[in-house]
Amino acid sequence: MTATSAPASSTAPPAVRFEDVSVTFPRSNRAVLAGASFTIAAGERVVVLGPSGAGKSTLLAMVTGVVPHSVIADVTGTVTVGGRDTRDTEVVDLASLLGVLPQDPDSAVCLPGVEQELAFVLENRAVPPTEISARIDGALATVGAAALRGRATGTLSGGESQRVALAAALIGRPEILVLDEPTSMLDADGMRQVRDAVDAAARPGTVAVLLVEHRLDEYAGNRGIAGLPERCIVLGADGGIRHDGPTASVLPRAAGELHRAGCWLPCETELQAALGIPGGIAEPAVRRALLGLAGDPTGADAPPATVAGAVVLAGRALGVSRDPVPRRTGRFHRRRPGADRRALLSAVDVELRAGEIVAVLGRNGAGKSSLLLTLAGLLTPTGGTVAGERPGLVFQNPEHQFLGNTVREEVLVGLPADAGPRVERLLEEHGLGRLADRNPYRLSGGQKRRLSLAAMLAHKRASLLADEPTLGLDRRSTIATIAAFRRAAAAGTGILFSSHDVRTVATVADRVLLVADGRIVADGPAIEVLRGGEQLRRAGVTVPPLVAWLVATLDSGARVRRVLDALDASVDAGDRGAPAPDPGTAGPAAAPAVTR
Amino acid sequence: MSWVGAVAASPLSRRNPTVKLALLFLVSLLLLVVFDPVTPGVLYLLGLAAVLGFARIPARTLLLAHLPFVGFALGILVVNALSRPGEVLVDLPPIRVSVEGLVVGSALALRSMAIGILSIGFIATTDPVALMTSLHQHARLSARVTFAVLAGYRMLQQLPREWQVIRQAQSVRSPLRARGGTRFGVRAFGTAAFALLVVSLRRGERLSQSLESRGLGRGPRTVWRPVPLGPADGLLLVCALGAVLLVMFVVGALGLSLGPDTLF
Repeated sequence: MTATSAPASSTAPPAVRFEDVSVTFPRSNRAVLAGASFTIAAGERVVVLGPSGAGKSTLLAMVTGVVPHSVIADVTGTVTVGGRDTRDTEVVDLASLLGVLPQDPDSAVCLPGVEQELAFVLENRAVPPTEISARIDGALATVGAAALRGRATGTLSGGESQRVALAAALIGRPEILVLDEPTSMLDADGMRQVRDAVDAAARPGTVAVLLVEHRLDEYAGNRGIAGLPERCIVLGADGGIRHDGPTASVLPRAAGELHRAGCWLPCETELQAALGIPGGIAEPAVRRALLGLAGDPTGADAPPATVAGAVVLAGRALGVSRDPVPRRTGRFHRRRPGADRRALLSAVDVELRAGEIVAVLGRNGAGKSSLLLTLAGLLTPTGGTVAGERPGLVFQNPEHQFLGNTVREEVLVGLPADAGPRVERLLEEHGLGRLADRNPYRLSGGQKRRLSLAAMLAHKRASLLADEPTLGLDRRSTIATIAAFRRAAAAGTGILFSSHDVRTVATVADRVLLVADGRIVADGPAIEVLRGGEQLRRAGVTVPPLVAWLVATLDSGARVRRVLDALDASVDAGDRGAPAPDPGTAGPAAAPAVTR
Repeated sequence: MSWVGAVAASPLSRRNPTVKLALLFLVSLLLLVVFDPVTPGVLYLLGLAAVLGFARIPARTLLLAHLPFVGFALGILVVNALSRPGEVLVDLPPIRVSVEGLVVGSALALRSMAIGILSIGFIATTDPVALMTSLHQHARLSARVTFAVLAGYRMLQQLPREWQVIRQAQSVRSPLRARGGTRFGVRAFGTAAFALLVVSLRRGERLSQSLESRGLGRGPRTVWRPVPLGPADGLLLVCALGAVLLVMFVVGALGLSLGPDTLF
């Protein structure tokens, strides 16, 4: 790829060039980007990595011109895109060089129809109307979405929206494609579709790609490091560039550092950081080390399987739709004709016992969230009954749940007046003590999630339901959520959560429910359900290679959990055997910009 | 282009949206100087006939769409009949209805009904996308405005769902009442509205960034599928305005018309 684009890059200006760029936002004493310098040649593909808050999004915003044109910040240094200084070029003028794919599928597509969305880009570039139709077909074909041409954007799934948005980013023939965590809100199928579409778009080498992706383990998929862009830039927590070079050599070198910073890494890189052995899951030495972590195969030292307590929540022969609970139950209540009475799930039998952690896996839109809402009494079942005490429910978007003006008030909502000391304890336990007087809306994404979970747990309901509790979290926050779930379960709470994050499910869940084709197709111990190939495929669940190997090789769920826990623990323990940082490449002044 | 709303094909739906909007505006303007009940009454009936004949609106939809206008019209009628001084028609203290009040009230009420039926005809036969394209093409409205409205329209479609989720999320922790439901008072409404505002502002900001990254407002642009503007649209404008003026003239000739001085 680099070879084909090399001749072009010697004449054309580089796609992107950062020269000693530092960015500081107002009311902050710390630079988000500090002295970043790098060049991306035409047609080159780059992935940017770094811990949360390291300036990855700021870097993208500098490229698109959003900083400093729309968001005010103190910027030094120069950024050029296609040879033009972003400071002197308006965002709309930069737009002609850029194709941008944002994170949230809902705001990635702006207009009511797919055709119109794509035509819009060309109209803005004053492309003659006669050429537009053919180019729409071309762009949709590139991203494998030709069939979506006649659709209304409101009816698209997340993966479809992102592919349409990608087509809209490509249709103007940009020089550089900017991808801001494009798959973080998607399920396994959607992610695969979008990743393949990005690959297909970049294959001809005519467009440079700048990708920020947070779940690198999932994005890389089965292809591992080979599934990532060829070049990798690693940002440090201080906003400086720590590494810059070919992904295949940077990742092993930066493995320990990224691992400890809480980044999600491709399996191979993570195992190297945690075990000190390169080669990935196929390597016998790695396998031996993992088996070593699993402990005794006889299971003699395994803790007794969770003693199942009393049933705290049960749904029997439940039918699930999106129909809200009626506000009034009087005689005159009439269902609105527009309400969605279509059953998403039918004949659902679920039981949740005290102290048990159960995960629900399935596609986006399969009815997982609606199932949780129905169990929580917020949606009316189309049939069957829900029995049990009123459960707690943590929503996917924590902001939807916020009621207090400060973090402390938020946790106090709905609690008796004497709950003060308990709330303080809870805040400390969830790492929110320092933030007690902050406004909930001003927290970071991970902190908001921790807060909404702590606020719900404060109610000590017999059961806790959670909708995608680890979505968008970095590794450390995910580990903290796992710990919080285990503490609550140990205290007797029954926990039922929906997720796309199979690894977290394998780490924390005792039991897994698999949702597909409008019903529950599997309900059993996590290790057994995650072994079942056909059912998993029907439910659109992709088991990552490490988890797949563990459940296939080990004989008990406890041992699988022990390995995953040990890997999680190594995030805090530091790297055991990664090569010592090379003084020539580690510092911020490193990475003598690859000569091009 | 009918995938956006439920705009069924009809003779009126094929007319240019800007022309229809201009017509609605002009008729409303003309009605401003009419203060007798007969003219707007006749115009309402003519409008109803036109909508029934040319708009193909299902009867149920048409009836439901009338509700807000009927409510508004009744309000105007009652307020004027009861409060306007003049020759007393009914005197049942504390209720006193005056003839002048009844005349002016019914004139204003029928005016809102006449404008109402035309608005219904306009909204039910106009695709929002075509309207925006046409306003940009024929009314020289800037593309920045028309596309911002369209993006807002998409956001609007998502609002009810968002509101429902926020209400559900916030009710999880509120105490249960005896009958099992949760209270939804003024305070709860306020916090839910605030959450919706925050979420919508964020989304609005992201949408505007998306629009900008697609190159909106960059300079001269082309229009892929222009909305046609033809002789039939001119004919519609001339016929409709002609009909309105004719009604006003005939009513005047019959000595039934009243001017703005009726108000005082």
